Amino acid sequence: MGEGKARRISIFFITVILVMLVMSLVALMLAVETYVTQGNIDVMNTILSVSTIALSIYLLFQMRKRTLSLDFEALKVLTVIQCTKCNYRNVKDFEKGDYILKEVGSCPKCDGTLLIYSIFREVKEKEKSTGI
Amino acid sequence: MFTENLAPNIQQPLTQDVMSWIFQLIWILAFIIIWIYGQRIQTALMLREIEGSLFKLKAMRDKGRQIAISTIKEIGKPTEDPTARVDRLLEHVDIGPVSLDPTGIIRRLEHIINVRDFRLKDEIRHMAPQADETQINNLTNLVEAALALNQIYKIVRHYYLMGKKTLSFYIILQIQMILPLIMRESEAFARALKAFTLGQPIGDGAGALVAARLMHGKEKRLIAQDTVVSEVDIEGRKAYVIKAKGPGGNVGKPGEAIKQILEENEGKVALIIIIDAAQKLEGEKPGEVVEGVGVAIGGPGVDKYKVEEVAAKYGVPLSAVLIKEGIEDVISTMRKEIVDGVEESIKRIKRLIRENTKEGDTVIIAGIGNTIGIAQ
Repeated sequence: MGEGKARRISIFFITVILVMLVMSLVALMLAVETYVTQGNIDVMNTILSVSTIALSIYLLFQMRKRTLSLDFEALKVLTVIQCTKCNYRNVKDFEKGDYILKEVGSCPKCDGTLLIYSIFREVKEKEKSTGI
Repeated sequence: MFTENLAPNIQQPLTQDVMSWIFQLIWILAFIIIWIYGQRIQTALMLREIEGSLFKLKAMRDKGRQIAISTIKEIGKPTEDPTARVDRLLEHVDIGPVSLDPTGIIRRLEHIINVRDFRLKDEIRHMAPQADETQINNLTNLVEAALALNQIYKIVRHYYLMGKKTLSFYIILQIQMILPLIMRESEAFARALKAFTLGQPIGDGAGALVAARLMHGKEKRLIAQDTVVSEVDIEGRKAYVIKAKGPGGNVGKPGEAIKQILEENEGKVALIIIIDAAQKLEGEKPGEVVEGVGVAIGGPGVDKYKVEEVAAKYGVPLSAVLIKEGIEDVISTMRKEIVDGVEESIKRIKRLIRENTKEGDTVIIAGIGNTIGIAQ
């Protein structure tokens, strides 16, 4: 890809984030120890350590390599066959060579001409209606 | 004795205070680093996101190339390996006409488009000598989809590498902001590969399907390049129904066809109705049908210009019937909602004809779109 391989994020940034995470854990432990020994809540340390833990975890999650899904979704495509004379209708899986208005034989009910009426893919609805 | 007991108590708090001060200092240093290098960290994260998408784009590009080559070999049975030709085609460039002097620009653009279409089909014919006309058209569409994927990949890669070299936050931000839209479009092109390989109708063919339904069973004639017309009686009016010639992947020349019919009838046409697929807005349902006024023909504008010119010349009203679909549906295999939209469009066309014309009038109905998988 381009000139040589794409380099990853600098080790420096990963080190900074890991150091931040370690420090915040130690600070949290100190805050807990202060509370246990002295009965005082070290508010500053607690807030700093919890927020820095959250920030470090968030940054690490952002940087982690996600597995890329490179497989393309297999589409289910259907062919609708209809008689030109009566109301006979048949739905089957799409086959290569099918096209709309192709004649595909005689109707088993009235011996009329069977045509491919439509070809479409089924879509699984992922989105829920929000009512907007 | 008192001080001896006191000493350990004093030392413990002191040690804790020193540790606390050290940690607070380190905290402050850490925040200063984030404050100074924060943008650099953000830039690195954005580059990482683009890199991930770039891997996916590369995979889609490679898949498009591979499908194009294998399909040409399967259908066309070439005597020599078409790989080198396909690779050349994927790097194909179209140079538009100069617009400094816009006089005659439509004519010049049309010439370039015609040469381009001819050149592309000619290359496909060379690569696939055993393919028939329908297969040639479908292979042309397939190569165009692969070409689009290649172009998208190269453009995103260009911005990614430029961003990496310059570490400019704003260069990277430009591509990062529109990356979700780019990925959506690329995935649509990737799905199109399958549709073009198998000759399945795509969402863009909605207009063509409307015309096919109206003209089925009637006599057809070739009116323009890759374009057929049929005379159909609708609600007591004489309707000229136009569509691209299928079932191969074609868009035809609907502009030229409408112009010819108008000239043949000396402008005595009561109404022109044009049906096409239109991009839906988020929140709209695919297959929704809307009506409007104007020439609903997409593309570079050559056909649209021709229809507008000739309709204005003769004072013929223009109506548009649009079937809404998303970008992911336009070049993928047609979905059921769009087929339902086609049925609804036919009802709308009949209503438009009933309400806006009288019996004995002549109307033109043009179904616009890629007619792959749709005969007539």
